[in-house]
Order: sequence, then structure tokens, then C-alpha cells
Amino acid sequence: MSFVSTILNAVGLIFLTHAVYSAHEHTALSSTSQSSASGTPANPASSLPLDIVIELLVAVVVLSIGIVLSSTPLKPIQWNKWAGAIEKNGRKENPYRILEERVGFWDVRS
Amino acid sequence: MDERELAIAPIVGDSMQHNHRTISNIRSLTASLFGVAAGTLGLESYPGFIFYLVGTFIVSALIFALRMDGQPGKYFYRPLSEFWIGDVFGGAMSFILTWTLFFGIVQA
Repeated sequence: MSFVSTILNAVGLIFLTHAVYSAHEHTALSSTSQSSASGTPANPASSLPLDIVIELLVAVVVLSIGIVLSSTPLKPIQWNKWAGAIEKNGRKENPYRILEERVGFWDVRS
Repeated sequence: MDERELAIAPIVGDSMQHNHRTISNIRSLTASLFGVAAGTLGLESYPGFIFYLVGTFIVSALIFALRMDGQPGKYFYRPLSEFWIGDVFGGAMSFILTWTLFFGIVQA
């Protein structure tokens, strides 16, 4: 699961960087060429090419899937399910371990 | 009635806190991501906020499908008000921050 989310995050970040840089270059190029040609800059949002828009949206979706997958797992809030999961998965995360596994009787002579 | 129910089936406060922290982490990360997208697309005023709402709902659906196995009642005491509706505007400020930043960088 963590391997998949790492791959998704890396791919999404690469696509996002590429899309934002492409949009930046496109608006810089088109604004200079249009203002020198006609004198009135066009609305840059409407002139953004479709492939940059699609790449940006795909990158955002991939990155949000990766972020959700790389988050820590949620814990159940009902006491019986929470305690049951702890009993099943081992005693590492049991908050009462210090009470349950203490030494019952200490033999002084040995 | 409610109190009696809680006495019969108690709730772990630690887990509730942990779930809220995890969800708000995801929300602020993805909200700044949506801000990057909205600013780069050059959205202004209402379309930008609609973009944020749609993105937040998609993230909620992703959490619902991938992290909760389709049972939000197992992880939130009141799933509708705590998960679907209540946390929607938690990432609004980071969204506006990156929205204006990337609008200024890319479109201006």
C-alpha cells in the first residue's frame, strides 16, 4: 500500500509540475505575442489549451488518491472493535500493557 | 437514551482524536493542491469556490472508499455532521492561499 501511494505521489507531482510550468510558459508566450499584435491581451483562462487542462486535472486526482492512500489508517471508535483489533494484532499498541504484563510475584531469594 | 447507549457500547476518545487529526491532515494537503489547480486554470470568484467544493467532495468519497471500507459509522460517531459536512471548510484558507499565489504566478 505504501509503495503504491509513493508511486502515485511521485507521478502526480511530476505531472503537476509539468502542467503548471506549461501553463506558465503558454500564458507568458501568448500574452506577449497577442499584446504586441493587437494591443489588447485576451483572457488567458479561456485560451489555456485542452491538453494542459486535462494533464492538470489528472495530476490533481492522482495526487489526491496518493495522499489518501499514504495517510495513517483510521482507528475504530467503538470500544469492542478497537479492543478486538488490539487483541488480534498483538500487544504492541495496547495502552494497558503495563498493567497486564507486570510481574505478579517477585521471588527475593533467586 | 443516548447516555445509556454509550454506557453499553463505549467510545474510545483516543481513536476519535486520531481520526479527526488524520482527516484534517488529508484535507489541508488536498486543499492546497486544489488551490494550485484552480490558480493555474485561472478560475475567478464563484467557479473557484465551486471547484473547491467539488474537489473536497471527491476527497471525501476517496476517504470513504479507500480508508473506511464503506462504513463511516465505525470511525466517526456522527458521520454526516463530522465527516461529510462539518469538515468541508477546514482547508478553505490553504485553498485560497495557494489559489491566489498560483493565479499571480501563472496568469498575471
